[in-house]
Amino acid sequence: MMSRTGSSDPSDRFEYLQTLVTEFQDTDSEEAKEQVLANLANFAYDPSNMEHLRELQVADLFLDMLTEENDNFVEFGMGGLCNLSMDPECRHVILESGGIGLVTNCLSSRREETVLSAVTTLMNLLTPSSRSEITDPAILQCMLRFSLSQSPRLRGLAAVFLQDCCTEAQVARAQRQMQGEQTAVGIPLPGNGDLTDEVR
Amino acid sequence: MAAPARNSSSCWDVPDVYKHHEQQKICISRPKYRDGRKDKAVKVYTINLESRYLMVQGVPAIGVMPELVQLCALYGAVEEYRPLDEYPAEEFTEVYLVKFQKLTSARAAKRRMDEKSFYGGVLHVCYVPEYETVEDTRLKLQDRRRYVVRAVQSKARERKQKEDVNEETTLSNTATTSEAISRRHKTSDNDNTEKTSNISHYTDFPPLPLPPREYNYFLHKNHHETIPTEDKMGTLHNAVIYKKQQQGHSSSSSQTSLGTDTERGLTSSQSSAVVRFVPRTTHLENRKRKLKNAAEHSPTDAAMNNEILIGPKLPEPPKGDMEDESLNTTVSLIRSTMKQVESVPVPKPVEKKLKPRRRI
Repeated sequence: MMSRTGSSDPSDRFEYLQTLVTEFQDTDSEEAKEQVLANLANFAYDPSNMEHLRELQVADLFLDMLTEENDNFVEFGMGGLCNLSMDPECRHVILESGGIGLVTNCLSSRREETVLSAVTTLMNLLTPSSRSEITDPAILQCMLRFSLSQSPRLRGLAAVFLQDCCTEAQVARAQRQMQGEQTAVGIPLPGNGDLTDEVR
Repeated sequence: MAAPARNSSSCWDVPDVYKHHEQQKICISRPKYRDGRKDKAVKVYTINLESRYLMVQGVPAIGVMPELVQLCALYGAVEEYRPLDEYPAEEFTEVYLVKFQKLTSARAAKRRMDEKSFYGGVLHVCYVPEYETVEDTRLKLQDRRRYVVRAVQSKARERKQKEDVNEETTLSNTATTSEAISRRHKTSDNDNTEKTSNISHYTDFPPLPLPPREYNYFLHKNHHETIPTEDKMGTLHNAVIYKKQQQGHSSSSSQTSLGTDTERGLTSSQSSAVVRFVPRTTHLENRKRKLKNAAEHSPTDAAMNNEILIGPKLPEPPKGDMEDESLNTTVSLIRSTMKQVESVPVPKPVEKKLKPRRRI
């Protein structure tokens, strides 16, 4: 029987992904955009799509989402980046596009998934050249606060970050600094309601 | 915008988005959607949502823990398990925490066991990464990174090999390839001609038609399933199962683009599939496309399109319809003729063949 090959056709996959990107850009429906965005972000979980997504500049698309008003856009975009940043090439693209700053801002999100994705992404983005930026005292202080969070997942990720991404000396310095002046990284802006959310 | 307070007893409705449910400290962030506030359960999966730890709910409280563990063990080694007494459970059911040795086992178990019946109950299985230790989390991330790097590298190698192979084949087989392509063009265009050619060239094996290629987003099947529960999305991680419909004529570019179903099996170790949320507009477009293509094909092709023809088709047996009215017409004609004949003295040969039909 002909053509029932097990191998996938890369051009079909690429076209499909391209369709999604086009859809995202063309549609006016917020809901449709969310779905497509989630779609793309989930595709980014499969390493076999990395190259296509790079070609389609989806990393930039995700990065653009981080400054959107729509919290879903931010969450999905951040999730997509979390997935993509596992790949060294995508990581490079994200770093080149000023990813660290944008991702750091997401640490202040009220959405737990967004924050978790941001922490993971920052860890993924750690390279010899990006290390100093990623271990900025402000970020370390944020991670220290996170390590006291009521959320087990956030506590865990923050702990991994502090253990793996910086030296003990850096952590100690950040702790000392926290006793003095605190920075605002990772603290969500006051909203309409109460601030009895977990310590972020 | 602060989230509204939630009733702690409705643990099934725990929202994933806001964390007001912290007091329980148990599975508050488990990925299970029952949230009626949202229109759709659209969710992005990251490594943070997956875990070696699974929570299994809905286990009938009839002492089947060993059976449950055995079932889990089918998917991979189980390191630990225990009942989660502290977790609110539906009446007559129990909740268990199961820790697998490998994330891939947990993934498979979740996919296979979720929503399945088990000793009269229905299991609900979800990841519970909040049970991970710091070390668990670290290892999980490291494994994930390593896996991605390896997978990307092997894909790049594979692609390079394919390109090299393609180069070679195109160089050496240009003539035969284009011949085959043009033949395939013909067969794919019009199944009718193929049918007649089957009958006329009885002994020849006609070239096989291209299998049907349809835009069939994986999500079509699963869309409604993913809306109520988030669990589905954990199970649908990486398999991209879709086929692309050919619009009219195939391009004569490369052989690989002809007739290949892009049905992709599950990728290596990640045996769960991705949820594709295709926006409605895309669905509409696809439907239009399908209708258009259906219209393009002649009606007699309908059956042919659905089956793969192997070998020549036998000629159809002659169909005789004994109920046909035209037979009676014939009879009347014959009878009248007979009357005429009888009236003439000169005998004429009677057509014995045409007997008046007996009506039963």
